[in-house]
Parts: sequence; structure tokens; C-alpha cells
Amino acid sequence: MTKLGRTLRIRTLRSRLTAALVVGALIGVIAAGALAQSAGKSALIGKLEGPEVVTDSAKFPKTLKEAPQLAALVKAGKLPPVSERVGQDPLVIKPLHEIGKYGGTWRGGFTGPADFWNGYRCCSGPDHLMFWDYTGDKVMPNLARGLEMQDGGRAWLLHLRRGMKWSDGKPFTADDFVFWFEDIYRNKDLIPTPSAAMAINGKQGVIEKVDTHTVRFKFPEPYFMLPDVLAGSTDLGGQWSAYRGMGGFAPAHYLKQFHPKYVGEAELDRKVKEAKFDSWVRMFLAKNDWALNPELPVLSPWKTMTPINTPTWTLERNPYSVFVDTAGNQLPYIDRVVLTLAENLEVINLRAIAGEYDFQQRHIELGKLPVFIENQARGGYKVYLDPGDYGGDMIIKFNLNYDADPEIAKWFNTADFRRALALGIDRDQINETFWLGTGTPSSVVPADSNKYNPGPQYRKMWATLDVKKANEMLDQIGLAKKDAQGYRLRSDGKGRLRIEIMTLGGQFVQFTQIAEMIREQWKKIGIDLTVQEVERSLALKRTAANEQQLGAWNNDGSEHLFTFPLHVFPFELAAVASSGPLYVKWFHSAGAQGKEPEPRMRELMEKWKKAFGVPEKERIQLGKDIWKIAAEDVFIIGVIGMGPASMGVRVVKNNMGNIPSRQYNSPDGKTPGISRPATFFYKK
Amino acid sequence: MLAYIGRRAVLAIFTVWAISVLAFVIIQLPPGDYVTSYIAQMASMGSVVTDEEAQNLRIQYGLGQPIYVQYLKWMRLIAQGNFGMSMEWRRPVTEVIGERLWLTVVVSVAALTLTWVLALPIGIYSAVRQYSAGDYLATFVGFIGLAVPNFLLALVLLYLGFVLFNAHIGGLFSPEFSDAPWSGARVWDLLKHLPIPAVILGLAGTAQQIRIMRANLLDELRKPYVVTARSKGLPESRVITKYPVRVALNPFASTIGYTLPYIVSGSIIVSLVLGLPTVGPLLLKALIAQDMFLAGTIVLLLGVMTVIGTLVSDILLVWIDPRIRLEET
Repeated sequence: MTKLGRTLRIRTLRSRLTAALVVGALIGVIAAGALAQSAGKSALIGKLEGPEVVTDSAKFPKTLKEAPQLAALVKAGKLPPVSERVGQDPLVIKPLHEIGKYGGTWRGGFTGPADFWNGYRCCSGPDHLMFWDYTGDKVMPNLARGLEMQDGGRAWLLHLRRGMKWSDGKPFTADDFVFWFEDIYRNKDLIPTPSAAMAINGKQGVIEKVDTHTVRFKFPEPYFMLPDVLAGSTDLGGQWSAYRGMGGFAPAHYLKQFHPKYVGEAELDRKVKEAKFDSWVRMFLAKNDWALNPELPVLSPWKTMTPINTPTWTLERNPYSVFVDTAGNQLPYIDRVVLTLAENLEVINLRAIAGEYDFQQRHIELGKLPVFIENQARGGYKVYLDPGDYGGDMIIKFNLNYDADPEIAKWFNTADFRRALALGIDRDQINETFWLGTGTPSSVVPADSNKYNPGPQYRKMWATLDVKKANEMLDQIGLAKKDAQGYRLRSDGKGRLRIEIMTLGGQFVQFTQIAEMIREQWKKIGIDLTVQEVERSLALKRTAANEQQLGAWNNDGSEHLFTFPLHVFPFELAAVASSGPLYVKWFHSAGAQGKEPEPRMRELMEKWKKAFGVPEKERIQLGKDIWKIAAEDVFIIGVIGMGPASMGVRVVKNNMGNIPSRQYNSPDGKTPGISRPATFFYKK
Repeated sequence: MLAYIGRRAVLAIFTVWAISVLAFVIIQLPPGDYVTSYIAQMASMGSVVTDEEAQNLRIQYGLGQPIYVQYLKWMRLIAQGNFGMSMEWRRPVTEVIGERLWLTVVVSVAALTLTWVLALPIGIYSAVRQYSAGDYLATFVGFIGLAVPNFLLALVLLYLGFVLFNAHIGGLFSPEFSDAPWSGARVWDLLKHLPIPAVILGLAGTAQQIRIMRANLLDELRKPYVVTARSKGLPESRVITKYPVRVALNPFASTIGYTLPYIVSGSIIVSLVLGLPTVGPLLLKALIAQDMFLAGTIVLLLGVMTVIGTLVSDILLVWIDPRIRLEET
């Protein structure tokens, strides 16, 4: 090399070295700053608390009060007095900290017409007939005054509240249940396939009117799960599912005008054309949509005023709300809820950082936690973390039905292979990097407080880092041979064993990046993992077509094992990751189609089915057995659980009252619905 | 000339029809359909869609039918002036687009105006004072706008706006005005929010226009007639603006072809990041969700705009440049 060349080379190297040092120093400074922040993270997770429903009628308030603007309307003769509006059996809620004040507008953000869960979670009451207490564990009366079991579980009497009214003042009675059952649920145009929630062991039940304020659910066999089904976010769980014809009840007096049984066909056709729908079915369902139709009578504390398919989704107080606090104030305290459209998650997060939202739990990204904390003082808000109770903010499912490659199929169906792979993951590293330390390395079992948790020893079962044991296990089952780079060879002699994991981008959890980290970790146990990020619809298609090998997802909802089994065993075809699409067919066709599951999975499925028809004590034991099998056989690898990544980061303005320091985070609990946002108020 | 326009018009109709078929087919190409996308979306939000529900939805939306049946249904609706129902928005497509359409036009026109107002004078200055400090500075700023990704610039400006000026993040209106009826106050609010989107959208296009203007003008300034004009005693400003600039404007007229659809669709990614209620994000979401009628109608609209725009720019060229005449074939 010439002298000039060498000089130039040295200069280039020197400048590159300097650049590297500068970058390294910068990273060091930033990391130190982040570490300093992380010291206060456990302070972000508070104590589980929430308001309670008062059932002792002796403690009910004697007189009722209302919001000033409603009082003015009553004075002007435009509204009946509050005692008439609420009825004789109000739903009394004891606020968490104190009795609140009326007034204020709650500002939040939503991402578009598909984001209806945003409104169901914050503002629907929730309007389930029964509902969970704030621990997410006990079923309490909600819109219904009580639920009584009869005939050994084959019949359930639902007691309604006397004088309770829809938001337009018309009475809410048993007729609304009969209308739903006879004219909506049983109408094949509206509901082509009946719901599993109305059935026990595949046999459908019926709903009958006993008297004006009593309804009977009747089933051919004992259906002990009905209280949980009525409390959960199921097809019988209130008006949120009305947009697809479910709910259990519906405002008969309003919807009859859109139903062919009550309106002539010519008249109905005219209405359909006028409203620009292409069938009466679509018009009916659109009219029955809580988020879309401002004229639909509702039972929730707030009512949609401008619908979800406009740039601002506003909800205003329902003057006939049956919710009251222990001092007799008709709830909600807050007058209006205004959700503004932000089509991009970055914009929502930025607005939350800027303090433009009063209470926002949805779409807040855990990765931005440091920025949120930094801007707390300036934005006038506080950040809370609500970790979920489910065992997996991130899980990896083995597709046990994968058959395109018999060698891979063989290993996926070998329990020790799955266990060894589970032992090869360094969960602490993943927890620190992606959850900023707020998650819990875990197997798939739910939190220790969950009633179906099989015991503390299952938390770490096959869910620790043990590279030595993993290597030993893989050697023993027949994968001892390795190639020059250290990757294990296939037992059929066709070269290196390569497996593929399918991930989705743009989710609350960064599945792709985590899978890349696992890829590096599995090098140490000799497994070659390819990470394949796909678009959502493609993921669904591939999974249903049995093309997926490993799938990354979360198992939220699984803490309510019997209402959300999708991530415990293969329950639906429409899943982003599946443990076995052919097993789904087998399960739903009672063995006629699909492939029979391997013995342990089959045992799990049978126990699950059995649990619906047995009393609670037995059901809890069956639930624990199910989780035991899941943890022992590792059909699904648990990575990080009980984390706040999925809708667990909450930003609340400092001037709001009755805010719990920690909530039960679950789709069944419609978090923050479980904290009764009707009791939130503005302190000034 | 009239015969020429007439011929082009007939071809235009055929082109637009071909665009509609192509758009419809391409929108269907990704695996799955609207219901699949809906299920995936629900899954992302922690909700489960049962197979029965998915089946019911497919029947209700008529998604089980073959493509050509759905296409013919759409064509039939268009003949009646109805562009169909958007599955995601559950409103007529005309309403969904119509609401955003003219806001899109406002933002795009603002961005374009900014681009031209900045680019033309700077381009002229760059050419006339070639290699001066001003030339280098202008070119440098322009290239920054070109090199930095628009959405990144948007996010940075949003954050700076919040940190330094406590500005409201994104969107074209403050929350209290977003749904209010039109009034003087609302117009003023819109004008207050317009600068950031206009600047970001305008900045990227500016560099390109500056360079084009500069290059063309430099070519013209070397030509003999300019020397002649100067020697005849015309003031310098007249020498430059009356002749060379008009010739250099030639390529701008020909870009109207793709400017027109841009006015209608706006910039997709920047609008998404800034939360602007324009047609761009609408199209993106419709495509991802495979909301056929909405996506198809927007693409059709863009196609029509492009065809009209090309025709307009051809005619404009004939008008401003005497050297261009129709060839008799």
C-alpha cells in the first residue's frame, strides 16, 4: 500500500473510532438515564382497589339527587323527577374514595370506527346483567337485581329492577328479553348460527317471561356457568354485542319499527332504501348498534350522541341511568365524554404525553413509559400500570397439527422437545428489554390470585433459563448430532433442523423483535429459528390453513378460562396463532371432523367441556387441572406474563377523583369499566 | 383541436373503466377479506371473534360471492349514483369521502401553493446568482426537505410544537371546533393549524421544483436571445421574467397531470402521522381492511382525477408553448 493510502486508511480508522466512541458515550448516558427512571417503576403499580356494588337494601339511600342540568329540566317540566326516572330498585355503588361532584367533560382518544371496544370499556356502565366485583373474581348483581338458581341449575330466574327505564323513558321489562329471544335471536336472517353462550353441551336454551320484572332462562341440562357468562363479555353480556344481534335483551319498543314481523314488507323496504342500506338485516343491526346509532335507547350511564364513525365520538349522560351512589346522587358525575379521532397510534401517544387526555388507558405504548413519566409534571397527569392477570403477555404456540414436514411435526408433538425449547429462553433479558422490567417471567398459568391457578410451583415450571438441561434433553430425544455451526441436525438426515415462527408487527407487544432475541438465545441450544413477520390477515389465513409452525401472540383473556379458552387450547379457527386447527374442528364437531388430539390435550378439552355443567367447587378443581396439564405439557410456551403491555398503561389527570391505584386488567372486566367510570369525577 | 379533445374524452372513459376493474381486482388480492381483517383487528385489541360470528358476518356482507358478482353489484350501484356502503365505517361511501374531500383539497392546495411560492423565486434566484452563497443555502435547505423522511419531520415538528409552543398535537382543528358548524372562528382555527402540515408537505416538493426551475432557467439564460434583450437595454428583471422564466415553466405545466390526484388524495403517510382528517389515511385504512367499496371508489376517484389532469396539462402545454402543435397522424 502506498504511503498516502496508509495515511488515509489510518485517518479513516481514527475518525471511525472517534465516531464509535462518541456514539457509545451517548448510549451510555441515555442508558444511565433510563436506569435511573426504572428505579421508580414498582411505584407505578398500586394496590388493587375499586368501587363496590351495595346489595344490602338497608344501606340504600333514602332520597335521590341529580345533576343540576337535569334538575333544571325537571323544574321546566321536561323530565320526570329523579325518583321516577331511576325506579324503586336503584343500582347502588359505593364510590372508591369519596362522594363526587357533578360536572366536567372527559377527553379521550380513539382510532376509528373499529375501535368500539374503547367506548364499551370506558362508558357502557358496564351494562351487563350481572358483573364482576373489582377483584374480577365474584359475580355480583348489576343491571339485574338478582339471579336465582332453580331445578338443579336447569333454570335461572333473573330479577329485574322495578321502575328501571331505557334512556328514552320507556320501561325496561321482561318483554325486552322475550323480544330479543323470539324476534332477534331466533330469526335466521339476523342470526344464522346460534350462540354457544345460550347452550349447554351443545343444546340450546330458551328465555321466558315469568312476570313484568322476572325472566327465566331454561336449559335442558344444568348450566352452572350461566352467572359467569352473564357477567363476562359474552353474547349474553349486555348491549355491547347488539351490533351483531346478541346481548340477551333489546329495546323492543324502538326496534320493532325495523323488524319485518311488526312492520309491513313494503314499508320496511322503503325505510331500507331511504337509509341507503342494502338489506333490512344490515339496517336492523346498524340501528341496534350502541356506538353507531344515537337514537338507540340504552341502559348505560352515558349514551352515544355523535356516533363512532365521525371524527369525534361524544357520549352524554343518560337521564334515566339506574346507577346511583350511596348518598343518592344519580350517576354518572361526569356530564360528557369526548373521544377524538387519531388514526395513528403515534398521535394518540403524543397527545397523551402532552396531557390532552383526562383518562386514557387504550393504545398507550409501554415502550414510551419513560417519556410519559418525564412529562408527568408538565402534563398534569400521573401514570399507572395495571398488569394483566394472564400468564402470557407473550406466548409461543406450537402448531401440533403442522404436517407439511413430518420431521418437524414429530418434534412438535414430542413433549420434551417443547419443554427444552422453553428452557432455552432467557426471560429476564426479554423482560428488561421489552417490558422495562414490569412483567413477570412465567409459564402460561394465570396470576397467583386467580381462582384457577394450580399452585405457585407451576409459575416457573419449564419457564426458567436452563441451557444445560435443555441441551441434555434435546440430545436425549434424538437430536444429538450437530453441524459445524453448532445447530442440531434433523434425525431424518436431511440437514439442519430449521423451525419458523410467525409474528405480527405493529402490536402492543413487539413480537418480531422479541422473536429475534429468542432466535439468538436458541443458538445456544442448537436450534435454528427463522422469524417471519406477516401482515395480520395473512397470519389468519395461514394459521387456519395449517401452515403455521410456531406462532407468537399473547394469551389475554385466559385468566377467565371458561369464557376465553382460545389461548389455552385450539378453540377457534379464526386465530392469529393456533395450537392445532384440526383439533378445533374435532372439538366443535364432537369428533366427526378434524383430527383427534393427542391424549393429554384431549384430556384438557374434556375437562373444559365438563366444567360448564358442574357446580362451582368442582369447576374450580377442573380449571386447576387444566392449567396443570397446560404447564406440564407446554403446548404453549409462556415467556413473559402479568405485564401491562396490553392496555395496562394508564394516564390519568391529577384533578380526577375516585381513581383506583390499580385495576383488574381484563377484557371480561371491560377495564376500566370494572372501576365504574360512572363514579369518576373532577375535583375542581 | 376539438376533435382531439373529443377523442381524448372517449379514451378517458375507457381508461377510467379499466382502472375500476383493475382497482377492484387488486384490492381483493391480499389473502382473506374484510371479515378476516376485522377478526385480526379484534384480536389485536384483546377481543375474540367466534367462528360463528365470522360466518354470520360473511353472509351479512355478501363476501362469500365471487369477485365478478361483487364488482357488477358495485357497477350497478354506481349507475344509480350510489357508491355503496363502507363496511368499516358503516356509512355510505359518498358520505365518508365527501366529508374529508374538500378538507383534503384545502390542505393540498396550501401545500402546493407553499411549494410553488417558495420554489419558483428561489429557483430563479439560484439560477441568476449561480454558485453564490444564497444559491448554496437555498439548495441545502431544499435537499434537507428532500432527504429527511416526511413522517419523521412531521413527528419532530409536532413534538417541538408541543414542547416549545404548547401547541395542540396534530389534526386540523382544536377539539372544540372539530365538529362545530362552519363559522369565522372555525375558519381561523383551521388557518392556525394549517402551517405545520403545509410546511411539511411543501418542503419535500420544494427541492425538486427548485432544481428543475434552476436547471431550465440556466439553459435559457445561456441562449442568444437573452444577450440580445440585455444589449437592447431592457431592465434585467424584465429580461428574466418575460421570456426565460415563461419557457422554464413548461415542465410545471406538464406536472399538473399528477398534481390533480395529489390534491384529492393528499399525502398518505404525513396525514396519518399528523392526524389530518384527509382522504389519504382513509384510503390506507380501507386498503388494509379490504373495505372494497370505499377503497375502490377512492382509487376510481384518483383515476378520474389523473385522466382529467393529464388532459388539462396537455391542453395547457399547447396553450403556453407556441412551439408545441398537434401532429396530424
